[in-house]
Amino acid sequence: MSTWQDEQAAVATPEVEGEEDGALRALAGGVESILFVAGGPVSVDNIAEALGADRAAVVQAIHYLQRRSHGTGLLIQAVAGGYQFGTRPEHAEAVRRFLQSQHSESLTRGALETLAIIAYRQPATRGDIEQIRGVRSDWHIERLLERQLIREVGRRPTAGRPVLFGTTELFLRYFGLNDLSELPPMGPRGVQTLLDAVR
Amino acid sequence: MAQRSVGYTVNVPGFEGPLDLLVTLAHQGKVDLMTIPLADVTREFLDRTRGSLDLNEATEALWMLAALVEMKAKLLLPKAPPPEPLPEIGESDLPEKLEERLAEYRQFRDAAEALRALEDLQQRIFVRPPEGEPPDLLLEGVTLDDLFRAFEAVLTRARKNRAAEVADEPVRVADRKAAILEALSRSPQGLEFGRLFGGRVSTVFIVVTFLALLELIKEHKVRVQQAGPLSPILLAAVPA
Repeated sequence: MSTWQDEQAAVATPEVEGEEDGALRALAGGVESILFVAGGPVSVDNIAEALGADRAAVVQAIHYLQRRSHGTGLLIQAVAGGYQFGTRPEHAEAVRRFLQSQHSESLTRGALETLAIIAYRQPATRGDIEQIRGVRSDWHIERLLERQLIREVGRRPTAGRPVLFGTTELFLRYFGLNDLSELPPMGPRGVQTLLDAVR
Repeated sequence: MAQRSVGYTVNVPGFEGPLDLLVTLAHQGKVDLMTIPLADVTREFLDRTRGSLDLNEATEALWMLAALVEMKAKLLLPKAPPPEPLPEIGESDLPEKLEERLAEYRQFRDAAEALRALEDLQQRIFVRPPEGEPPDLLLEGVTLDDLFRAFEAVLTRARKNRAAEVADEPVRVADRKAAILEALSRSPQGLEFGRLFGGRVSTVFIVVTFLALLELIKEHKVRVQQAGPLSPILLAAVPA
């Protein structure tokens, strides 16, 4: 689940009877330690292997950690097929000041539209994108390639063998998605669902 | 919050609205570019970049302006006779087809909005960089804006000096890249930004040198550092 879904799920899930027993807490501690030292998303399989625990128990421990993380500065996010610690959005300004980092460059509207077409239609060619947007999109495609949000995934076996583009693992991390099935549903309702969840 | 892109707007006789809309309409033949003074559009763009400059926005706008110029140039050229009549589309079909395409586009435009919301959120969540791996920092303590301002300062100084405005020989990015690397290899302690440009040089030389520097930074061959806000900007070669 991505962040916006996590937050909902974590709030919606009631405390399970006897869940906070010693075994779960011990396992959760182990999971927490692994996520702490990892430099990126860690898959449930990798955590389970390191702890010698089974997958289901690890998932349960992660959900326990997610619930417990409310009111702290950290959250546990499911992105790109794994879990990772991140700072909570409400502390973004403070973290940014501390790191002296500038605002990361947001994508422009044209780039986002181009990326949306590639993400939902993948694999997609330049022609597919231009047909939908009605304008040439080479500039956006170049920028998206440069930022490694998309990559060439092959060529369409038609005249001219046009290059096919698909999204990357970085794309998932950039938008906080666990996999492509988590892309918000298309159409105005999708946006609304998402915006409600984020707020 | 991340800055919301507002995009460039056009306000010239014949068209008022966002620049990207003008490109789209011109592309669809719904706006006659022959009646739009592109020089005015360009002037507006330049005026706005003088006030404040978002590099990302500005380069995108520049690309759109180039697309407009290309389209207009094609319109001005004499046309070859159309090779074949277009495939038959029933008159009544056409509005329907257009509506279909527009509806499809709107779906993706909405999807892009949703992605924007996710981007906003994710940019406020920070994760630990992998241990041992140096962060992908090519600009240390210096923002792209700082670098750009330093470049502007060099350019302004050159314009005041009014050195030879016409470059007597072509200046090539590849040559300037080689020259920068050469200069940096002679200054292992780092070379101050302003010294890249020497004394009395032409505008073209400065612009091309700056482009060469940006390319070297992008290729991870040159690192840029600035100790504090008013300290000199130092360039150093990245050891291969």
